[in-house]
Amino acid sequence: MSENAAAHDAPTSTGIDHKKLIMWLFLASDCMFFGTLISTHLLYRKLYPAGFTDAEGHQRFIQNLFNIELTSFSTFILLMSSFLMALAVSAMHKGQIKSFRRNVLGVIFFGLIFLGCQVFEFTHFYHQGLTIQNSVLGSTFYVLTGTHGTHVAIGVLWLILMYFYSFTGKLGGHVGALDVEVAGLYWHFVDIVWIIIFTAVYLVEYLGPNGFWGTGLPAVTK
Amino acid sequence: MSHDSHHAPVASKLELAPERSDLGLLRPDRTTGWSDWLTTVDHKKIGILYGAFAMFYFLVGGVEALAIRTQLIRPDNDFVTARMYNQLFTMHGTTMIFLGVMPLSAAFFNFLVPLQIGARDVAFPRLNAFSLWTFVFGAFVLNASWLFEFGHLAGWFNNFEWHKNLVYTDFAPANGWFSYAPLSGTFGQADASLHAPRFTGVGTDFWIIGIQVLGIASLAASFNFICTIINMRAKGMTMMRLPVFTWMTLVTAILIILAFPAITVALIELMFDRAFGANFFNPSAGGQPILWQHLFWIFGHPEVYILVLPAMGIVSEILPTFSGKSLFGYPIIVFSGAVIGFLGFAVWSHHMFTTGLGPVPTAAFSLLTMAIAVPTGVKIFNWLGTIWGGRVRFTPPMVLSLGFIWMFMCGGFSGVMHSSAPADAQQQDSYFVIAHFHYVLLGGVLLGLMAGLYFWFPKIFGRMPNATVAYIASGMVILGFNLAFGPMHYLGLAGQPRRTHTYHAGFGWETWNFVATIGAYILGLGVFISFVNLVWTAFKGKKCASDPWDGRTLEWSLPSPVPEYNFAQAPVIAARDAFFEDKHGGKRIGFENDGGEAGVHMPSQSWMPLLASAGFLFAGFGMPMMAMGVPHAGWIVITGLGVLIVGIWLWALEGPGGYMLKTPAVAGSPAPTETAAH
Repeated sequence: MSENAAAHDAPTSTGIDHKKLIMWLFLASDCMFFGTLISTHLLYRKLYPAGFTDAEGHQRFIQNLFNIELTSFSTFILLMSSFLMALAVSAMHKGQIKSFRRNVLGVIFFGLIFLGCQVFEFTHFYHQGLTIQNSVLGSTFYVLTGTHGTHVAIGVLWLILMYFYSFTGKLGGHVGALDVEVAGLYWHFVDIVWIIIFTAVYLVEYLGPNGFWGTGLPAVTK
Repeated sequence: MSHDSHHAPVASKLELAPERSDLGLLRPDRTTGWSDWLTTVDHKKIGILYGAFAMFYFLVGGVEALAIRTQLIRPDNDFVTARMYNQLFTMHGTTMIFLGVMPLSAAFFNFLVPLQIGARDVAFPRLNAFSLWTFVFGAFVLNASWLFEFGHLAGWFNNFEWHKNLVYTDFAPANGWFSYAPLSGTFGQADASLHAPRFTGVGTDFWIIGIQVLGIASLAASFNFICTIINMRAKGMTMMRLPVFTWMTLVTAILIILAFPAITVALIELMFDRAFGANFFNPSAGGQPILWQHLFWIFGHPEVYILVLPAMGIVSEILPTFSGKSLFGYPIIVFSGAVIGFLGFAVWSHHMFTTGLGPVPTAAFSLLTMAIAVPTGVKIFNWLGTIWGGRVRFTPPMVLSLGFIWMFMCGGFSGVMHSSAPADAQQQDSYFVIAHFHYVLLGGVLLGLMAGLYFWFPKIFGRMPNATVAYIASGMVILGFNLAFGPMHYLGLAGQPRRTHTYHAGFGWETWNFVATIGAYILGLGVFISFVNLVWTAFKGKKCASDPWDGRTLEWSLPSPVPEYNFAQAPVIAARDAFFEDKHGGKRIGFENDGGEAGVHMPSQSWMPLLASAGFLFAGFGMPMMAMGVPHAGWIVITGLGVLIVGIWLWALEGPGGYMLKTPAVAGSPAPTETAAH
């Protein structure tokens, strides 16, 4: 990365780097984006608490569909990826490029595990009869979690490119550390959004004897 | 420092040695002519391009409006078909809002904000170019629907298999500018190819992708401008010394980044309904069309303030200049602007009073809507206070600004009438509503923007528009506008519904419809003459001094046209309206000699923003063609997304570059004195 003399040296009015500020602004905007998607899902859950009807015409309940152990595992993996991301940012600030590479590879690996779990989950749910076409639940669920998955995929792609870029020797110094930190902000945000989605879309379904939305099935085994 | 040190400081970019970017490609820094305009990262040139495209689309939207009024000039008219009428009013609204007013405001943001805060460019010059070209391609995609419509009417597609399979053939959008579901959506069950039956043709798909692309342009620009305003102020330019136009730009940009995600998600959901058979708004599968209304207006109401706040900012600059006084109640005007922005998010359901929200939400939204009239009224009183006791000079921008206050107030009054839910139930979907929002958006926003054009044209081009022509045109605009939209208050209360392509004789609507159409012609001619005057001025107008109005803000301290580096020395500010105070009172502006022989840093030009945004052109064309069933159209979409990704990738890897430009050697001047007042 070229050291852009004027842009680098000129102090900003607030002391915050432009790149960091614009990422915060993007994240503010993305909050509204996910807020709208999550609201759509929750509104329809409240309206149609019963779940969906599969291809054979059987009424299905969402608790029987979810594999909460698997999703908890992938949530944990994503959380740990944020931890590694923090280590990668810290390493970059100290100029420890090798440590940065190690940690960022870990983030990429964990991100791919999360995406793999999501692919498995989507395939599984599809075979269980939940499609984007057969119910409102299918539409909101796939579009919401799919949009989040797209965010993770973009983050993984970004970090892969950064990983390879680091071998050109151009990723370094103040600008390099800033670029990694900005990527880190994005990654942590996507992680936090997943915590909210995991709570609002998955966990609440298990609250109360009849499910949070009222008429779900009391714990029936598959 | 490696890349900058290639270059010794130069007096002109044409003296630069050819330089290769980190990718090994030649940077287009030394280009002139059209390739200079395509690769420019100069906020002033980008502003001029925004303005040129916006004025073009104002004329397009104006022609659509005149076609609508011609159809309504007499009862049972058949100037256009009902189907064409639907497309005309939809494209008129969409064009005026997204391709006329917003880009013209963006033109002012681009040209003025860096100058007003004493900066040399925006925070992200290449991102700024990306916003411009994304807007241009989004606008093109939206209007390309007309090409398909005319092709269809001319019978060009008759031999194609995909054309024979189409159920609906409205190629231009025809749902109205808010595209209510379920009309814009689907019904019934999706077939094997994942398509559910629809109520409307591919015009809706053009609309969805067009608005989506335009939204990306607005979002990118807004991130950039918030960053610029917060982070790139000159020394001493505290937030409470910012010119009001810059303040309103900041509030507008914040509204955009918080409001546009709602429409983005709504459009994604609608696109999934139409393209993949999802059920977000499909009533036969349990989808709730009212969700569309909520999501749309959560965006749509802040959008109203996104349109009007920049015009308020412009007027807040013009009135003090021509009253010879500082703006009355600066802090309260700024605060009112912020309150309007904040409350703008809390009133969306007043567009939906007749949907049956229930008494509590209706009362709450009614109350909040009335409340938003308070900060607006505060602004109007402050503007009056500015003029009061001033030495008023009448010039075209001043006359248009006074027109703005007057006409916008009329729109505000009928707005307060709408805030009462029982009254609104009577006025809903009638011409009364048309009258209201045209008084706000035309009497308010358009007059404000035209005032801004006349005010800053001498700064932008160094040439003064012809005042006589400007007065005549402004008079025609204000007269024609009142003739066109004043009678609509009466027509609406007399029961004429909006969005119907004709009416029968005998309802008592004939006279005023005729008057309204004549008024619309006068208005259209006035706007056209004004634009001709301005375009002529840009090329041939009489040269004028750099500060012809005795201006107050920093841009007037610069030569006209403004040199590409803006400020030869970095300004240091010690007062609000520092330039005016400096001219007429104590020392309020100093300069730090950071330029001269050492030069100031200039960003490198680039093809990559244009390349990346060209991806939206392919993707935008491909998606409606997929919906039409044109074979292999999916590949066009994939090509577009590929171009976008490659464009961004090359953009990231080429490195920012930059070179040093010599500025006229002027000695630095001593530090200014702070005033106790502000």
